[in-house]
Amino acid sequence: MSFLPLAHALSAREDLPVPAWLFAWGASIVLVVSFFALAAGWRSPRFEQWRRHPLGAGLSRVLLGLPAQIVCGLIGVFLLGFAVYAGLEGTEAPDRNFALTFLFVTCWLGFPFFSAIFGDLFRPFNPWRAIGRAVGGGFRAIAGQRPAHLAYPEELGRWPAAVGLLAVVWLEVVYGAGGIGQDPHAAAVATLLYSLYTLAMMAAFGVEEWCERGEVFSVYFGMFGRLGIFGARDGRLERRPPLAAATSWATIPGSVAVVLASIATTSFDGAAEGALKDPITNLAEWFADQGLGLTASIRLTETIFMLLCVALVAVVYLLGVRGMRTVPGAPSFAKLRSGFAHTLIPIALAYLVAHYFSLFVFQEQAQFGYLLSDPLGTGTTDLFGTANSGIDFKVLSANTIWYVQVTTLVVGHAIGLMLAHDRALVYWPDYRRATASQYWMLAVMVAFTCFGLYLLSVANG
Amino acid sequence: MRDAKKLMLLTGLVLVTAAALTACGSSGSNTSTGGDKPAAGEKASGGGEPTASADDVPTIVVREGEPVGGVQKLEYSAGEEVRFRVSSDAAEEIHLHGYDIAKDVPAGGTVEFAFPAELEGIYEAELEGLGVQIAEIQVNP
Repeated sequence: MSFLPLAHALSAREDLPVPAWLFAWGASIVLVVSFFALAAGWRSPRFEQWRRHPLGAGLSRVLLGLPAQIVCGLIGVFLLGFAVYAGLEGTEAPDRNFALTFLFVTCWLGFPFFSAIFGDLFRPFNPWRAIGRAVGGGFRAIAGQRPAHLAYPEELGRWPAAVGLLAVVWLEVVYGAGGIGQDPHAAAVATLLYSLYTLAMMAAFGVEEWCERGEVFSVYFGMFGRLGIFGARDGRLERRPPLAAATSWATIPGSVAVVLASIATTSFDGAAEGALKDPITNLAEWFADQGLGLTASIRLTETIFMLLCVALVAVVYLLGVRGMRTVPGAPSFAKLRSGFAHTLIPIALAYLVAHYFSLFVFQEQAQFGYLLSDPLGTGTTDLFGTANSGIDFKVLSANTIWYVQVTTLVVGHAIGLMLAHDRALVYWPDYRRATASQYWMLAVMVAFTCFGLYLLSVANG
Repeated sequence: MRDAKKLMLLTGLVLVTAAALTACGSSGSNTSTGGDKPAAGEKASGGGEPTASADDVPTIVVREGEPVGGVQKLEYSAGEEVRFRVSSDAAEEIHLHGYDIAKDVPAGGTVEFAFPAELEGIYEAELEGLGVQIAEIQVNP
């Protein structure tokens, strides 16, 4: 029987699989890097205590002051509103409508990529936070007191964000067979529903509280922002060492679920086109033979495989944590579990870059080309004279893409190891024990990185 | 002294694993490409219409809005000429993404695509009206 071809939303182009020889080299370098890290590790923590370098007070006032907050908030709200408008009113062609490229490429990929360098860039532009704060400000002005909020259950932590992250990717990638990953209208409706939910949660628990723990995009982009070199504290802009702020990210319960969900969903999206393509097809056909509709079969199958990816990634990490427990002097399982969560952020980022950077480079040409001039894709508007521009696929050769993919994974792996080694020295001041504990994290990371390389090498198998 | 020994042991382990990986990697790729091709051929012949016509230009047959034998995979090297035909029982617009070439095929007719393979990557060809993928054109460097 034939099955529904899993069409791609935006780009009808895929990367070529990484060739076997490059896969082998990548994996070998990973192992060499790993063992060097073990042998040559430093003996007292380097990232845990770091010095903030406050930037000039004048600069902070300009960039963080109320006028700047209002301007950034307005930009965020305008862009969100415009994306929803384009989705509702514009063309149904996914690649011709501003909404899909803006939401799923420019924001969904752009914020992680750039926040990882510069620090959390989403927070100032977060449209829901801006609306929530404006409403809160209005409430204070009228009622003369701060709005009352429910106490957020401490143990719930970032779990709502972790589940939300799975839901967002599920909607985009799984439900996307005819759903929001391909249908600008559905994406706009989903965005509106998410906005309502977010504003309700902000009203219930407070704007900042919800952004820190529950709001999917704040938590997700903020996680990558912890790797970056700029931050804000008490109204003062500061420069910090790269990676340093990540060390305090996972103190909130459920954080580890967020980073694992990130790795798992990226894996699933990559594997669905390659390593898992045949199993998915077979199981979907089996469901269809049992009398389930075609679309339902595919969605059910992909949901199952996506959850399997989550389970696999979680089990690998938890096994590593369990292993570390066997080293004398180890803290509790729960403490280790959250204590090493931040060491996976570089790996999650590397997965994102490896899987999506070519899509990002190509699709941003559309974003700042024809989508800017003709956002609704009507073919009748040409705001900036670029409505007839195209995407130049020659800007990245297959070789460039391969080297970027493999290098990113290897570098992400090395950074993850550095962070883990550093954290181990906090828990085990005795250098030998710290190193012994790191055999386990090393195994976890080698597994993730080689799995990532494997996914790339069988892409579109 | 113990450290030096350990380090040597580790280095040895790394080298062995690296060698093993390299070996596995290359043999694995052979079997996978070897395994892929018959599967694609099987699909095509199982679907009824063969993919290659007399003059060796692959033809994608579209019936009732679906490619016969599933999505056809065509592989080329950069710089070669990509050449394939599409025949369809209904009038359709065939669109090859990336290269952005669109051609109409009349009902019961055939249309030929021929162009230099200059963009590396995997690109989809689809029935533009129905949004159904019929082929993927893979261009290797």
